[in-house]
Amino acid sequence: MSEPAPPMQQRARSASSIGIDQVSRRFAADAVALDDVSLDIQPGEFFTLLGPSGCGKTTLLRLLAGLDQPDSGLIHIGGRSMQGVPPHRRSVNTVFQSYALFPHRNVRENIRFGLEMQRLSAAEISRRIERTAALIGIDKLLERGIDQLSGGQRQRVALARALVNEPDVLLLDEPLSALDAGLRGRLQIELRRLQRQLGMTFVFVTHDQEEAMVMSDRIAVLNHGRLAQIGTPQAIYEKPADEFVARFMGHENLLPIKKSDATGIETPIGRFSGDFAEGAYLLLPPQSLILHRLDQPAAPDCIEAVVDECLYRGGMTEYRLSCSDWPLVATLANQGRPGPAAGDRVRLEVVTRAAAVLQAEGDG
Amino acid sequence: MSRGRLTAFLRGFWYALMLFLYAPLLVVVVFSFNSINSSARFAGFSLDWYKRLFANDVIMQALWNTAVLATVSTLIAVVIGGMLGYGFYRYRLGRLSWLVWLIYLPVIMPDIVFGIAEMTFFVLINQWLGILAPGLGTMIIAHVTFQVPFVALLVNARLLALDPSLFEAAQDLYASPWQRLSAFLLPTLRPAIAASFLLALTLSIDDFVISFFTAGPESTTLPIYIWSAIRKGVTPEINAIATLMIATVFLIAMLSMLGGRRRRTSDT
Repeated sequence: MSEPAPPMQQRARSASSIGIDQVSRRFAADAVALDDVSLDIQPGEFFTLLGPSGCGKTTLLRLLAGLDQPDSGLIHIGGRSMQGVPPHRRSVNTVFQSYALFPHRNVRENIRFGLEMQRLSAAEISRRIERTAALIGIDKLLERGIDQLSGGQRQRVALARALVNEPDVLLLDEPLSALDAGLRGRLQIELRRLQRQLGMTFVFVTHDQEEAMVMSDRIAVLNHGRLAQIGTPQAIYEKPADEFVARFMGHENLLPIKKSDATGIETPIGRFSGDFAEGAYLLLPPQSLILHRLDQPAAPDCIEAVVDECLYRGGMTEYRLSCSDWPLVATLANQGRPGPAAGDRVRLEVVTRAAAVLQAEGDG
Repeated sequence: MSRGRLTAFLRGFWYALMLFLYAPLLVVVVFSFNSINSSARFAGFSLDWYKRLFANDVIMQALWNTAVLATVSTLIAVVIGGMLGYGFYRYRLGRLSWLVWLIYLPVIMPDIVFGIAEMTFFVLINQWLGILAPGLGTMIIAHVTFQVPFVALLVNARLLALDPSLFEAAQDLYASPWQRLSAFLLPTLRPAIAASFLLALTLSIDDFVISFFTAGPESTTLPIYIWSAIRKGVTPEINAIATLMIATVFLIAMLSMLGGRRRRTSDT
């Protein structure tokens, strides 16, 4: 009946770009879910929408799937305008947060749903199911009922059910959030590998910044329906655009800049000389603070601090410090030597090239 | 030991309940096989009353009417009630969602009030327009009216128990509106539709009060026949009809239970 489809690995060419142009969505007069968001996603990119709950990331995903319509703005997928195109006419498939597996169908029947709806031939359907099941590693589960599957297996079935259609774009709505930490970590790696192998455009939604950093080519951070920052994981973590992005990425050492001039800046813990950009905060990521004990030879430009708390984190210990009554967090790798204890005085060496200056929230 | 006594009391209560529930039915069944015309003394086993029953044209007509009424009204009620249950689900968050409560009126309204009201209404319409003379037609309308809420309730409950993203998953997986109905909605609702079909069927077979008020001279059903026959005294013939009705209702209940059990083992 229909032409045999090329194997999945050859489909990289058909990966689609996504254009989101000044898209807004309001649910009620005062509830703005998305406010004038514009961004472009490259073909074959692993792109993540990151933000706290209610930031609009799931709304944007639903707009891409066609499950919701923007109030204004345009969405293009593969160069084609998606205006008025219903979900069942878009070459886009979604892995839902709840997996949304059909309870009246077993694993195989779930996976074949999309193929049935497209009226593919029986031979083509079974060929695609076998191939996808092998790719995802669920070939032994095909005849099982949905209620006989573990959480991780359901996740895989949901993924297979979407991928089997060989869509131009795969949307993933917090697909790993219901799984325990170990399994979650393994599936992150698997998903990433799969995306590389297929060369398919993935749009991934999560509220977990570590997950976003591990998996993505690029991340868009959303805050209250607005695009706060877009960039590579490294850029977002090391050079956050504003206070919101910095705090969301897990940074705690944000020092308000009291005064700045040509030779340096003044902060509550002291003055740092150097050529800094204009901004409201000095960000000191953990790797910019080197902890020295008082009896160790002092590096130049050290500041003194008191250890309030030590939090053992396995590979490293996190130190909560007070520096001129200002709280700071620093880490030290656990290399067998005893570290400072609570109440100890320590010296902090600040590596200013690892520091960043950033804007107040919303100024960026 | 007060706890032991409570347990003994509750157990006694259970046996008493079973006795008063099933013993009367058992009496009816036993006396339907009586060889003499008595509901007081059992003289021996015979199938005479059943033979008479099937030879009685009036009873056979009543049986036929009951079957037609139950089947036709149930089929109509399942279609209308099913769509209504889906509509209530689909627009449950809408501004007019409180209208749902209007449909549940027949569930709480006493049958006698409902029956009299239907009768008066049909008579009025008949006087004005000359249509809807009392008969099977009016009975079907009345039965559909009280069956629909039960069907809508069951279908709606099943829909509310579903993950809402299932509807979106079907759209996302290329199902057109018609395909969503045939490949997703109907198969998913099949257990609820089957259960509401069987419930509506028993409700119709059971019903006396509303049938009584909306029936015409030609549309006597089994419950109405029994009621009119019983004024001349309970005969073993009536016991035989009752036994057949008990058997039918038991059969339907068993079917519905078996369906429920299969659903639990194959579904989530």
